[in-house]
Amino acid sequence: MRPEVLLLLFGESIMLFGALGILRFPDVYTRLQAASKCDTGGAMSIILYLVITMDAPALVRAKFLVLAFLIAMMNPMVSHALARAAYRYGVVPKVVVDMYAWDNP
Amino acid sequence: MSRVPFYLKERLEALNEKVLRERLEASNLPSWERVIFTWVTLMVFWIVISTNATPENLSLGAAVTLLIALFMRDLLTKDMRRSGHVVEKILYFSLIYLPQYLVIMAFRLLESNLKVAKNVIFMDINPGIVKIKTDLHSDTGITILANSITLTPGTLTLDVKKKLGETYLYVHWIDLETLNREKAGEKIKGDIEEWLKKVFW
Repeated sequence: MRPEVLLLLFGESIMLFGALGILRFPDVYTRLQAASKCDTGGAMSIILYLVITMDAPALVRAKFLVLAFLIAMMNPMVSHALARAAYRYGVVPKVVVDMYAWDNP
Repeated sequence: MSRVPFYLKERLEALNEKVLRERLEASNLPSWERVIFTWVTLMVFWIVISTNATPENLSLGAAVTLLIALFMRDLLTKDMRRSGHVVEKILYFSLIYLPQYLVIMAFRLLESNLKVAKNVIFMDINPGIVKIKTDLHSDTGITILANSITLTPGTLTLDVKKKLGETYLYVHWIDLETLNREKAGEKIKGDIEEWLKKVFW
């Protein structure tokens, strides 16, 4: 077994845990946390596996790194937009303290 | 500052904005440096996207990206700090700062993935929304800081608020440890803010 396969296995297991987190966590915001982190990490490690193992010229493989960069920039931005929109819509978070509600009564 | 009357508060905020804008103008890069920065970035992107290193392709890309960089020079470099010579700065940025940031973020992302897996299995969560203060003022810097906070273990940025010249972030923290603003800021931001303060203002 080649050592690059570990990257693929890691990515897939992290994606699995992200899906489990979306099912098990109590409210929108904690579910968004699971979704954003696990999707970014899992997709990036799978892309790294592809970059290492694909037999293509180096410039073609560098395109995958552009893809990884775009995922890493976009995924947290989308989760931030979703969380803010959910808060503005009135989804009450299940939290201990809520300083955002203190400042926006 | 919270006891200032409403009409005074608006004027004060406008004044602060003006002072901040003037400081930004004073600390901006010279225009030819901005053109060179944008040109180098676009050229690297062109080479990677076109996957073709023949001389005619490279010269075509250089001409077109120079033309674009001449009138889009403020888009990427508006918020950068002025320091040092342009060649020195490009070398520092591409050889030291960017790899440093990538290594920090890679380990943080790994840690946060493992932490989410741990939280899913044991369900030991104690969520809360805290408010932290940052020393960054530019839009690009705040955007990168908020994105990095979202990728660090156990935190998710909810909103950004600029108030009286200071910037505050609202962060959803899945495992609440402290309510003190300074301690929470240290724990959440870590060394990313120090890194960003070297590049953006």
